[in-house]
Amino acid sequence: MATITGRTSRSIGATVRQVTKSNFPAAIHQIKTDIEAADFVAVSTRKTGDSSASSASSSHHRPWRRILPIDTPETAYLKSKLAAGSFELLQFAVCPFSIRGSKVIALPYNFHLFPRDELSLGMPSYRFSCQTPFLSSMAREGFDFNACVYDGISYLSRVQESKARERNPSSSPSLHPFSSSQTASSVADSIFKERIKWRINHWRNAFKASTQEKDGSLAQTLRKLILGGEVYGSRPGMSIDICNEKQMHLVFEVVNQISDDLVVPIYIPHKFEGQPEAVRVVLAGSEDDKKELLAEIQDLEDEQNLKLRGFRQVIDLISSSHKTVVSHNCLHDFTFIHEKFLGPLPATLPEFMCSLRLLFDNVIDLNHLLKEIGPLGKGKNIPGALSYLRRQFFLPMELQVPRHDPQGSSSSHGKNVLSIAFLFSKLNRLLKTAPSGRTEPIEDFANIFHTASMTLLEPGDDDNDDDADAGLPMIDTAKRVGTDDILFLWGFRGATSAAELKARLFRIHPVFSKEFDVRIVDKTCAIAVFRNSGSAEALLKDITSVENLSGAFREMVVEGLRAARYDAYEKVCKIGLWEGDLADSLEVAMADSTEDSSYSLSGANTNEIHWNREMMIDLNEL
Amino acid sequence: MRKPTVNCLGFRAIPQTLAFLIQSRLIHRPLSAAASGGEGAGAGGAMVVKKVTLSNFTSVLEDLRTRVREADFVAIDLEMTGVTSTPWRESFEFDRSDVRYLKIKDSAEKFAVVQFGLCTFRWDASQSSFIAHPLNFYIFPRKEQSIEGPSTEFLCQTSSISFLAKYQFDFNACIHEGISYLSKTQEEVALQNLCSAYENCLGDSSGDCEEYTEIPAVRTADILFTERMKIRFREWRESVLNYPKDPILEGNKCGPDAELNMVFFKMHPAIMLNGFTSHRIKLIQLVLRKYFKELLYVSVIGENCLLQKLVVYTDSEEDKASLMKEIQEDKLRSEKLKIQTAVGFRHVIDLLMSEKKLIVGHNCFLDIAHIYYKFIGPLPFSMEEFVLSVNKMLPNIIDTKHLITSNHVIQHLMKQSRKSLSSAFSVLCPQIHSDSQNSASNSFVKVDVQSDEPGSSYWSSGAKHEAGFDAFMTGCVFAQACSHLGIKFEQNSLVMDLPGNDKLKSYLNILYPSWSSGTVIDLTTGTETSSSGHIRKYPKREFANIALLWGFSSKIKPKDVEECMRKFFGKDSVISVFFLDKTAAFVQFNRKELVNELMVLKNTLEKEDGLISVLHPFSKLLEGGNTRVADYESYKEICGSSMSKFLFSDQAEATVIRRKSKIAPISLESSAPEHRISSKSDSDIRSGHLFSFEEILNPL
Repeated sequence: MATITGRTSRSIGATVRQVTKSNFPAAIHQIKTDIEAADFVAVSTRKTGDSSASSASSSHHRPWRRILPIDTPETAYLKSKLAAGSFELLQFAVCPFSIRGSKVIALPYNFHLFPRDELSLGMPSYRFSCQTPFLSSMAREGFDFNACVYDGISYLSRVQESKARERNPSSSPSLHPFSSSQTASSVADSIFKERIKWRINHWRNAFKASTQEKDGSLAQTLRKLILGGEVYGSRPGMSIDICNEKQMHLVFEVVNQISDDLVVPIYIPHKFEGQPEAVRVVLAGSEDDKKELLAEIQDLEDEQNLKLRGFRQVIDLISSSHKTVVSHNCLHDFTFIHEKFLGPLPATLPEFMCSLRLLFDNVIDLNHLLKEIGPLGKGKNIPGALSYLRRQFFLPMELQVPRHDPQGSSSSHGKNVLSIAFLFSKLNRLLKTAPSGRTEPIEDFANIFHTASMTLLEPGDDDNDDDADAGLPMIDTAKRVGTDDILFLWGFRGATSAAELKARLFRIHPVFSKEFDVRIVDKTCAIAVFRNSGSAEALLKDITSVENLSGAFREMVVEGLRAARYDAYEKVCKIGLWEGDLADSLEVAMADSTEDSSYSLSGANTNEIHWNREMMIDLNEL
Repeated sequence: MRKPTVNCLGFRAIPQTLAFLIQSRLIHRPLSAAASGGEGAGAGGAMVVKKVTLSNFTSVLEDLRTRVREADFVAIDLEMTGVTSTPWRESFEFDRSDVRYLKIKDSAEKFAVVQFGLCTFRWDASQSSFIAHPLNFYIFPRKEQSIEGPSTEFLCQTSSISFLAKYQFDFNACIHEGISYLSKTQEEVALQNLCSAYENCLGDSSGDCEEYTEIPAVRTADILFTERMKIRFREWRESVLNYPKDPILEGNKCGPDAELNMVFFKMHPAIMLNGFTSHRIKLIQLVLRKYFKELLYVSVIGENCLLQKLVVYTDSEEDKASLMKEIQEDKLRSEKLKIQTAVGFRHVIDLLMSEKKLIVGHNCFLDIAHIYYKFIGPLPFSMEEFVLSVNKMLPNIIDTKHLITSNHVIQHLMKQSRKSLSSAFSVLCPQIHSDSQNSASNSFVKVDVQSDEPGSSYWSSGAKHEAGFDAFMTGCVFAQACSHLGIKFEQNSLVMDLPGNDKLKSYLNILYPSWSSGTVIDLTTGTETSSSGHIRKYPKREFANIALLWGFSSKIKPKDVEECMRKFFGKDSVISVFFLDKTAAFVQFNRKELVNELMVLKNTLEKEDGLISVLHPFSKLLEGGNTRVADYESYKEICGSSMSKFLFSDQAEATVIRRKSKIAPISLESSAPEHRISSKSDSDIRSGHLFSFEEILNPL
């Protein structure tokens, strides 16, 4: 039993059970019981890239494709969607955990994944993207890429599984063939049914009789030939040829009607085409024998499913357990989970949230939780939040990791999931004991995702967490603006820094005489933020009518200065103009006049996400 | 050699519904021998290839300089993370040469090179054998700090990665210790940025190139800190001024804590700032600017590569300016050095280019494209431009694949065996392949592998589909082929001039541009000709007769398309129908007018919503209303887009949106319809034909 107290939680040792292709079948049984027994399940992932990756240097090729502070939840979702479609999961850590008083009992697993095309179907993924800074930062942590590629577990999403079954139907027998819609039975059907019934009864009776008589082997062989009987394993069986799915259902129906329930129908698909070929009727020797037979076939089916679903089996287990799932940076993780294990991501955030609810009832985003719980707002990463909690509150808690796999491989990879479980437990306790009268249960925070961008730690990047660690969190000066007061500007020549651009814009237009600010988004485009509402509108109006302009502003406009409202940016994200520089994409979006009805964000509103048109943007984060 | 093999592996990945595509696709690219047999899976225990990573790169590079200089030829081979970014970017019979180039360009731009095999061959007259020195470079586009390096994102084709894994590729070595690189263009840009930044700093009269950071000191803590710092700096300045009298500088009495350490910086007294947050550093800068003209804040990279932040005391304005200049020059020097280091693996390419040695590759067109994009600069838009500029950089390239397929003597030797590298190696060089010494008869060229430090951990036994070993095999095949061509190495006592050899002349600089084209391209002229060894399966394609359809219902099968077309345009109108993927198809007509007719017809049918459109044979094709028709030029444009949507229809739609923006302003300017028609140049038709439906309809 490894016991880790809060103080040493950073240096959690080799306690995470590592799961690869070879030990996956064993692990799946173990994790099933662990999930069942746990209160919560924490998850965390490692990917080949992310929409939130902000490497230390700003010379990213398309910096605007990352989630930026100017993104609304909707555009952040679209960026996450893009990322989930391009990058791959390499590790998926799952940690079922329970809170028992001041103890957190965690059972972490770390699954190594690789989208290998196990079934030669071109699935789960034809190609994927890698971000070098991501891979490099993983390499620094000692990540074993060979383990991933060689022994990673593959998977298929639910959508892919049904496609795979369609294209390459399993040739293994099944007790539960796909149920197609029941159509009204015709006269022909009843004749078919009667005939099958007679055949089965006849065959059944013949066997009853044969057990009583003691025939010679010759007679037995003859009977076999005449009755068309075969053996299924050690049990007598008979094949009934069918030519379509409907007949198959009829046979199943007939067999179930026969009072004697020792007869088991098994669906046998055609070896190559997967069309229904025959139903094999097997006669069990006794009730117990029948149970055994059913179990045998079920095992075969399970094996087949495991082969097909691969790692998704774990996701399905979490999903069917209806436990609350905890994660950090939920928007990133769950767009990936949806894309890889459920199916392609829907077009909008509310649709995504609804669709995700089908998979998980309750998802708690630590990012959102931290944001909501007062002064923690600044501690963006998990270690930062943990150290802040340690300093500010007395929350004695102990993280226990019972070693359930003495001989198996375990290492510190994926230990992040333990920190998530631990931090969540602390916050849970904090909420319960909060003196401020805040007594809402932690479940109230479920299913709201916060869209923070995450920072990769790179060497030499020492300024990262200084502010949080200094014990003096910055005072939130609450400089917040609505999307209506933001304009995208491009076509300014030569300005490379925000300060330079601001200096050039200063006072060239009345709106630039009042309070405004400029930030560079990528090398072609900048945003201007206005404190006075209406300024953006005024500038936009003037920029389109060159003839009424004069002075330096006119010069800039003639030189090609362009401006667009926030909705042009939303449109860029919406129609997915991710290639190239932002200025180009904005041009395209503005030129594209097709206004499809689905592109109207104002109508979409759900309770699940705190979101409105006047999305507030924190200027401090810019 | 893994290009064909990867594609072959890709076959299995093609779903059954698309199986009919396979027949027309790359079928003559044989599955590599090792996948089926295991021949050439290793050339005995003696064969070793040196592994080169970050740790031994510098020393290897030094040795390599002399080796390349002395070499008679250099064989190369590359391993990439993938070949085709989408299924529809695989090579089709329907690809015109410019489209094929665009596909190769896309491949070279999207995928990363992870291994670079290089094997130098030098004829040793005393032993009358070649001395081969195979090297296996692990390369990775690692992002060097602060330098605009290779693209930070690259694609991996899952099947290719699995393929690499099958041959025990070491991904850890690649990602952990791979050598990074900068292309020539990237280096130039980096140097340019550096110089302009340097000039900006010098030009800045305030002498401060840090961005101004105005922080209103509103917080009490900030104000207290600022005041504290003010006092500290004032005390320190006093003590410095009083130096000879005041011995305070002898000890470190500047601060009770370790935050402020007294040091000397370039002969100036200075204080080292340790353990301040970036916020506080900003506050300190603010204080210095406001109250201490003679104190200068500098941040420099110290001896141990750590960022040092200092406050330096200067005697006068001039002193301050000269110190600033000195610091800037130091920075410039170290930045230049950084860029030089970041050039990394490209030093090897520079070496090959400067020595102008004969480069030998096997089916190496894609390899060359990768080399160009990764180490030289962005790929040109046309194949001609590309090959001509390759010819300038690497004037002598021989493709062994072309050599063994077009020479009759060798073809006779190869008989029916496949033209893959490993099979050529086992047929042509059995003595090396099986490592049996006794078979070294005169007809075989002897090749000895040189290992300078045997037993070192860098050596690994060569294995197929490891770039270093593949390069070695390529070189052996080439040497043997030369001997079959009648080139006598023994007679060349001096350095032999292989590129100038008459017997090789007809093979020099002739490459296969793509594996299914059946053509070869001459790098010196940029012209493409039909390859002699290739048997055409199909008659010559008239690309103007081809219409492109996409966005139709997923239930439509090729025979449905064919049926629709035949019903309306006549029985003989359609020559063939080919599906690019399940969302798009080519229809090849017997006349090119039919392409336009189809576009017009589609538009008319969509405008009518009456009975005619429902009963029309095309109604099935137009079902859903998303069906689009375009000509072959649009296909080229769609392939040329830098996007890589998985389905062709998505890619095509996205390309259309992009194009609209380009077209829109033009149509606004020329509002008069007759003007629009009269000004329609060839290029307009090509680029704007999707919007030409109306023009065609107007006269009707």
